[in-house]
Amino acid sequence: MAEPVIEVRDIFKSFRIPSVRRETVREHVLGFFPSPRVETLHVLRQVSLEVHHGETVGIMGRNGSGKSTLLKILCGIYEADAGSVIVRAPVIPILELGVGWNPELNAVDNVMILGTILGMTLSEARTSIAEILAFAGLEKFANLDVKYFSSGMAARLAYSVAFKAVRDILVLDEIFAVGDAGFKVRCEERYRSLSAAGCTVILVSHDPATISTFCDRALLLEGGRVVMSDTGEKVAEAYLNVSSSVADDGAFG
Amino acid sequence: MMPPDTVARYPHDAAASVATYHVSAAGGGPGSRAHIAGLIWTLIRTDFKVRYHGTMGGFVWALLKPVSMFVVLLVVFSFIFAPTDPSYRPNLILGLFLWEFFAEGTKMGLVSLFAKGYLLTKTRFPRWIVVATSTSNAAITLLVFTIAILLYLAWAGRFPSPSRLLLFIGYEIEMWMIVLGFALVTSVLYPRYRDLNHLWDAISQAGFFVAPIIFPIQILPESLQPYLYLWPPTPVIEFARQVLIQGTTPSLEANLLLLVAALAILAIGVVVFQRHAPRAAEHL
Repeated sequence: MAEPVIEVRDIFKSFRIPSVRRETVREHVLGFFPSPRVETLHVLRQVSLEVHHGETVGIMGRNGSGKSTLLKILCGIYEADAGSVIVRAPVIPILELGVGWNPELNAVDNVMILGTILGMTLSEARTSIAEILAFAGLEKFANLDVKYFSSGMAARLAYSVAFKAVRDILVLDEIFAVGDAGFKVRCEERYRSLSAAGCTVILVSHDPATISTFCDRALLLEGGRVVMSDTGEKVAEAYLNVSSSVADDGAFG
Repeated sequence: MMPPDTVARYPHDAAASVATYHVSAAGGGPGSRAHIAGLIWTLIRTDFKVRYHGTMGGFVWALLKPVSMFVVLLVVFSFIFAPTDPSYRPNLILGLFLWEFFAEGTKMGLVSLFAKGYLLTKTRFPRWIVVATSTSNAAITLLVFTIAILLYLAWAGRFPSPSRLLLFIGYEIEMWMIVLGFALVTSVLYPRYRDLNHLWDAISQAGFFVAPIIFPIQILPESLQPYLYLWPPTPVIEFARQVLIQGTTPSLEANLLLLVAALAILAIGVVVFQRHAPRAAEHL
């Protein structure tokens, strides 16, 4: 069997959360007083994951279960504290409902920045602008500064660039959560064509229907650990049970 | 199976704590030369556009600051130094523009990662590009000034010899290496120490008076002069004045010493940056 395109072995990740955060040189130099109490927040504990070429893997879990941190480590944005991550192909992420924009620049310039950041060459980005704007339904706003865009328009543009820039691995956080019905249909069509073309997709979602529809298999994260690895349908069902049992216990406000 | 050079590894155990990222440079694609060049060009172009609203008219503002400072200082200090030093004015303008490049480049470099945090927290790409391109506006201003002063020298019949012209360009490159070294260090520390910009402003302000910009270094006691050369912009400014204004050439030893110092500052910057950059996004 071919090597997995993503190989995660026993990764740990924690964040040190001081009760009072020292963020300046002055506070460090003049820190005569005892150091603030530091709490260690263990976000991921011995997480392992293998994804093979062409697979679509879903990740589910309640808020704070470590999904976003895991995605950021997979994408190389965060470093794991221990363990290893091997990624054998370029990763294109769409995290936190879109990628950042420079509000002082228009849509075309922002597409150029994001496209090149996501791995497109200058000529690829230039020749893709019309297609990206059309996909986002924003052709009329090509020369409008992004600061005048609604959050939905900005997110649509981010998705469009990432869908165009993707080469091998696409990492999506809450896909299909933005845009109007027409845009969602276009996203789903594009997603299916990427999947058919052999792209590997990692998909994080709170929506059981999305995971069970699109994912070959899925993981359920709970407290920073992988508590279940099964088909998309079964994991979606387990996620519903976990969420509803916690809700019944009154853990959710 | 993927070719081995497309493998990215982030091993983080006790034995190996440095992240590495290798992407195939074959053809286009992330990490290829065409991709990196396109990314650099795009960031420089859009930074210029944001800063100067995409017009050369807007670019005039970048030149206005050193020129207005030149006029003010000329009026004030010409009365003190000019009678004894006929080259005071060209020395002053050259010193001011080189200093402006240093001050502006380090200032923009310091905040560069923080300012581009919206990109850093969303995807992985070579972080040094953000720092390097942040100095581009200062470099463009210096380039325009260089062309202007060379045209002036040609008009005045004092155009430098090819070897001195090459040395001058070399000094500008060394100044850029120094700026980049400072910027690489401060850019990764700034997200952790949010008052570093104020500290750097104070250092920069004091540094303006340590570097012999508004006063000739010769007015200081000879025993004190070597200490001023410890401040990196000083030798660059002094050597540039020698080759461009005074028509002399610094000794080989002096040139080598400056080159080694510039390389050392850049190397320190690279080492500190490589150590802290992988976790910079966690502090944004």
